Amino acid sequence: MARTGVIICHCGSNIASVVDVERVALAAGQMPGVTYAATNKYTCSISGQDMIKQAIAEHELDRLVIASCTPRMHETTFRKMLTKTSINPYMLEIANIREQCSWVHTDKEKATEKAIDLVHMAVAKVLKDQPLFTSSIPVHKKCLVVGGGIAGIQAALDVAEAGYEVTLVEREPSIGGKMVMLDKTFPTLDCSACISTPKMAEAGAHPNIRLMTSCEISAVTGYIGNFQVTIRQKPRYVNHDTCTGCGLCEEKCPTKVTNLFDQSLSKRKAIYKLFPQAVPAKPVIDSEHCTMLKSGKCGLCSKLCPLGCINFEDQEDFITETFGAIVLATGYDLIDWAKAYPEYGGGKYANVISGLQFERLVNASGPTEGHIQRPGDGAEPKTVVIVKCVGSRDPAKAKAYCSRACCMYAAKHAHQILEKIEGSKVYVFYIDVRTPGKGYEEFYDKTRADGAVYIRGRVSKIYEEGGKLICKGEDTLIGKQVAVEADMVVLETAMEPAHGSTETAATAGVSADKDGWLTEAHPKLRPVETQTAGVYLCGTAQGPKDIPDTVAQASAAAAKVLGLLAKDELETSPMISVVDAPKCSGCGFCEQVCPVKAISMVDVPSMYNGKRVTRTVAQVNSGLCSGCGACSAACRTGCIDLLGFTNKQILEEVDALWQE
Amino acid sequence: MARIDAENWEPKILAFCCNWCTYTGADLAGLNRMKYPDNIRIVRVPCSGRVNPQFILRGFQKGYDGVLVCGCHPGDCHYTSGNYFTRRRFLLMKRLLEYAGIETGRFQARWISGAEAAKFRDTVLKVTEEIRALGPNHRMKEADDHE
Amino acid sequence: MSDVQNTLRDRVRSLLAEGKISCFIGWGPTRFKDRTIPKFANKPEDAGELVYNEHCLSNLAKYALDFQFSAEVAGIAVRGCESRAINRLIADGRLTRSKLYLVGIPCEGMLENGSTAEKCAFCRHRNPVVYDELIGEPVAEQENPPRFEQVLELESASSEDRYDFWQREFAKCIRCYACRNACPACNCMECYTEQYRTGWQGKQANTLENSVFGFTRAYHIGDRCIECGECERVCPMGIPLMKLNRKLVKDVESLFGSEESGLSDDASHALGCYDKEDLEEFM
Repeated sequence: MARTGVIICHCGSNIASVVDVERVALAAGQMPGVTYAATNKYTCSISGQDMIKQAIAEHELDRLVIASCTPRMHETTFRKMLTKTSINPYMLEIANIREQCSWVHTDKEKATEKAIDLVHMAVAKVLKDQPLFTSSIPVHKKCLVVGGGIAGIQAALDVAEAGYEVTLVEREPSIGGKMVMLDKTFPTLDCSACISTPKMAEAGAHPNIRLMTSCEISAVTGYIGNFQVTIRQKPRYVNHDTCTGCGLCEEKCPTKVTNLFDQSLSKRKAIYKLFPQAVPAKPVIDSEHCTMLKSGKCGLCSKLCPLGCINFEDQEDFITETFGAIVLATGYDLIDWAKAYPEYGGGKYANVISGLQFERLVNASGPTEGHIQRPGDGAEPKTVVIVKCVGSRDPAKAKAYCSRACCMYAAKHAHQILEKIEGSKVYVFYIDVRTPGKGYEEFYDKTRADGAVYIRGRVSKIYEEGGKLICKGEDTLIGKQVAVEADMVVLETAMEPAHGSTETAATAGVSADKDGWLTEAHPKLRPVETQTAGVYLCGTAQGPKDIPDTVAQASAAAAKVLGLLAKDELETSPMISVVDAPKCSGCGFCEQVCPVKAISMVDVPSMYNGKRVTRTVAQVNSGLCSGCGACSAACRTGCIDLLGFTNKQILEEVDALWQE
Repeated sequence: MARIDAENWEPKILAFCCNWCTYTGADLAGLNRMKYPDNIRIVRVPCSGRVNPQFILRGFQKGYDGVLVCGCHPGDCHYTSGNYFTRRRFLLMKRLLEYAGIETGRFQARWISGAEAAKFRDTVLKVTEEIRALGPNHRMKEADDHE
Repeated sequence: MSDVQNTLRDRVRSLLAEGKISCFIGWGPTRFKDRTIPKFANKPEDAGELVYNEHCLSNLAKYALDFQFSAEVAGIAVRGCESRAINRLIADGRLTRSKLYLVGIPCEGMLENGSTAEKCAFCRHRNPVVYDELIGEPVAEQENPPRFEQVLELESASSEDRYDFWQREFAKCIRCYACRNACPACNCMECYTEQYRTGWQGKQANTLENSVFGFTRAYHIGDRCIECGECERVCPMGIPLMKLNRKLVKDVESLFGSEESGLSDDASHALGCYDKEDLEEFM
């Protein structure tokens, strides 16, 4: 027989001035299963807690109902208190008679009746409570960072600096990401490579960081503190253990390939380093274009390599390692504007280029060594039109969202053109100018003062006429059609999630929004966490942002990782789902609705009609389960149930007021 | 609970509220000392996705005059997707209940965030009045069935 | 139809003789000319006892569950309704496709008491949707049978009339669970009604508990019902259960745009997924 104790809290006068607490205690004393009922002035105070402890000992109570403030306030307090008594901390229910009763009702009689009802419901539930026990899981003190752009590099460095091992996985042959392609960064105009390459080198040389380039994650199992991650090492055809990066192979390779790092503005070799400052500073072979790999002829690099590093037989390799935490920093790509904007020529005009192409043109280590030249004929453009929001804020054609960085880099591009080309004119078509950042508005002001002409309106058409690019649009401020004759057009195109990033995230149990940006656990309060405990995100993987925000977020993610790795073990909530396997049909509907992939279908030996058989049933991973109970509501049999909120407990609560 | 007599009848409403949004919103209504009718009895659940539609039937069966299911706004679920499943389940269940002869309005679902104390209050007010207008529920109710 | 019966017997005989299947589930004769019962042919010589005529009313699919743990392949005759039921059972994790040999039979509808069976009247899939071999030629499908006519009719009644209607119908229920046992979507290892400790609902056969059972069962199969009509056919009390199931089928189709259940063995079902753009009426 249950021995329930019921404590009705006065909360000073907060409850007692509206609810007749003595009457509630009296009524509670009559409820089935209740051994002891009393009131207390301030239950949460030390003396209040002592009174409960005493009552538990004296009346040999085995479960407790406290009618007080919201459980969101003191459930933890009282659970902690119970750890010092003979009662299991989970044999506790709280009736919310303050926030949801005394504070919202004025009729004392009715409020008292309601309080009695709420206590009744809590008593009915507590009678079906069962002792629950937290368990602890060890934390594997190693972090995986996916994506080697500035976000991933920063996060990796922060974690490594704190003394933990980090594996940094990058699918390209070098870390660096997009930032290393840029020329200068706004608003300070410091050279992008000058500030990012030292960080790359630092990451490459850090004793706690293991770089894994040309790698992708292919599978993630396990849970917070214990993720088993399978990493696919793509074949590089060059032994990086022995290669010194002398560059002879690259120099002599006869095959020339479009250089995507230079945004197709130059050529590279089939055996190549991604860019001169690549980390690791060692080449790989592009299997799609290498004549030896394609047709078995050539092999020049292999003949020339003084250390015999070339291995045309190289195969992909799978490495499985355990990590305690995962950071997703998968970054962004730019939209394919040519598809979305046929009216801008759809890519047929060589001198209509993207912002990132402009970055390469203006970059001292780019294909023109920093001279702004038209890709079409190499001439210096005198009049340049910059079009903003190409794909951003344009739900009809591409993306509804603002890409955040373009206003500023458009101003930077304008500034660079005006500075580098004497007598040049720059026209910027814009919808709005958004400059919310330190020194951003000032930079924009300066650009305009330098002579950039800002025209408010979208460009409706770009076409070639007499060697010029005619950009037609409306100046919405004066309500007139305008046409600008330009030598070159720069399109500041929208960011979109890096291709394959949603799939990578899904592997780690992280979902994406409708545009593919990875979803944080809470947009305001948990911005770098994800729904999957132990998996964090940072940088543009989460949404468009500029470099300062990216780096700040990366360090925030690193701080979260460190908070986790600093622990030796994690205590897990016992309020999770459990499966009554013999009753489970194995339909898998629970698996379909689980938001954290905590449920898997497993084959278990079972008995069926007196025979030994193997059946498929659901199994809950207690490390992953977040205790939402969606599975339980999806189960027709009710054989998967949520501890702490079981079907029986909820049904008892529903029934409570109507039992005779 | 006292036996109901027709004159003193007050609607009894059962509400399932998710811990992260609506339950918090209800707490906030208290914190702001907002006033609403005392006809509602809240069952706290971790997520509206925890609410098995059979609980609704049970509520009517046992004697509640109205049942409310509340959760976070779609897109704001603490567990990412729970309330999307809730929405599907109860779009269907609501229609089934009405087809079974439960009057429209006796079962309702609402999205109320942790900040929407006023929406919580207004919802309780509105639902209570709607159910008061419908009168005591006798359909699918246990006690009536035996009599 | 006798051609189909002969071919079926021949095929089953050789399938059993070749050892391709260990048993075949079909229909067999009874002492009444216009009745058949499910028949299990275990040996080649049993094949001659198989029957196929316009009186094969039983949906055989659920009998395949008898072989769910068998190491051998079981053969089964599948018309449109059986094939969808088999797909449903595979999707729900109860059967394995590779352990089944499906002999498809296009069907032009069965007879019940001399006229088209109620369960066949609204059929949209007379041809099996999955099979390993087909006996006979595919038949023309009924064009847009008014599946939801009866549902729409009841929907237009007043709330009170709807309540009275169902209470009247469920007053007849004797809680024999024949509906559940025949239903291919009711395939839980153990039904929720048997979960005594949770106490989902009372066992007593009174109108209220009966209707709670009826509505709960309808909800449980709502997004998976294959509309075979077997529940209604086997109900000894003549409760129009399809009027209930089709309400859910109709709502699932119109609310979520789901395709009919059982057209493939894909495990997805309307309540196991969602669309962020789903109808919003809870704002």
